[in-house]
Amino acid sequence: MHEFSLASAIVEQVKEIIEEHKAIRVKKISISAGPYELIIPDLLQDSFKIITDELEKFRESVLELIRKPARITCLECDYNGEPDSEGDEEFAFNFKCPECGSRDTHIDRSYLTIESVDLELPS
Amino acid sequence: MSQEKKISVRETVYKKNDDLAEEIRKNMKNKGKLFFNIMGSIGAGKTLLLENLAVKLSTHYRVFVINGDIATTIDADRIAKHGVKTVQINTGGGCHLNANLIAKELEKINIDDFDIFFTENVGNLICPAAWDVGAQMNIVVVSITEGEYVVKKHPIIFKDAEIAIINKCDLDGLGFDSQVLEEDASKIKSGMKVICTSAKTGQGIDDFIEALGIEIPRDE
Repeated sequence: MHEFSLASAIVEQVKEIIEEHKAIRVKKISISAGPYELIIPDLLQDSFKIITDELEKFRESVLELIRKPARITCLECDYNGEPDSEGDEEFAFNFKCPECGSRDTHIDRSYLTIESVDLELPS
Repeated sequence: MSQEKKISVRETVYKKNDDLAEEIRKNMKNKGKLFFNIMGSIGAGKTLLLENLAVKLSTHYRVFVINGDIATTIDADRIAKHGVKTVQINTGGGCHLNANLIAKELEKINIDDFDIFFTENVGNLICPAAWDVGAQMNIVVVSITEGEYVVKKHPIIFKDAEIAIINKCDLDGLGFDSQVLEEDASKIKSGMKVICTSAKTGQGIDDFIEALGIEIPRDE
């Protein structure tokens, strides 16, 4: 259940942003993730609620999860983009190159990204 | 009155962990140390493999093992019996180690007192995959008793690994089959070193040590 660790990491990073901008509170946090992050959205939301429950700067804040398609870079033919749309019958996750069929691909996990935060600032 | 502002961040959630992991990796490399992260399911045989490594390596190297588990010091105690220094991290309920947990343990020791470092990650084939601990090499251990589909179900953890250990190969043919696991692990990544071991009989342990790039000087 790595969602709790991820929610903690998100909150720690957003705390720094709140501090940097001297914000009153954060209203919304938008994060993006692809299928390789293996995130269960409900568990992430529950973890976020537990962690921020008593944090005044996160009062009524919303965590928005934007799903993005998987992205690979083929180490055989340098293809960069989505994996083979026909999927992979053998493995539980598809990281097959659509150009040359290789599974020797780099999977982009930096995808789990804080895209933006909506802050309430003092006027 | 207050105002609202959208701030574009576009930064990975793992940034803090990844930065710290990179710092650990560089520091270890600069000091000429080796640091390996061993991952695998509960019951795959990680601790017994580390006991085997401890026996073989401790006569020539100063070894430090960081064990991760939700509770107890059972694993660290087992490995410590073989003459190496161990420390147990209890994560509470946490299902993986991370760079911060490792950094805290490394701060408590003098890194120069040791040559080779291992982490035995929390038993899990999912969560440890994304959390860099700062090791120079990741090793995934699966055992043939986990069934023939274990690699097919959990390929992602193998993506960042350099070595796949197929353990409990002494049971090969006794209702279990190592071949399909070896083939699957090889398909995920070219250059993956796939080694069949038995932590129980010692089979493949020398090959494992060789794959780690560790030389054991021959006795005079």
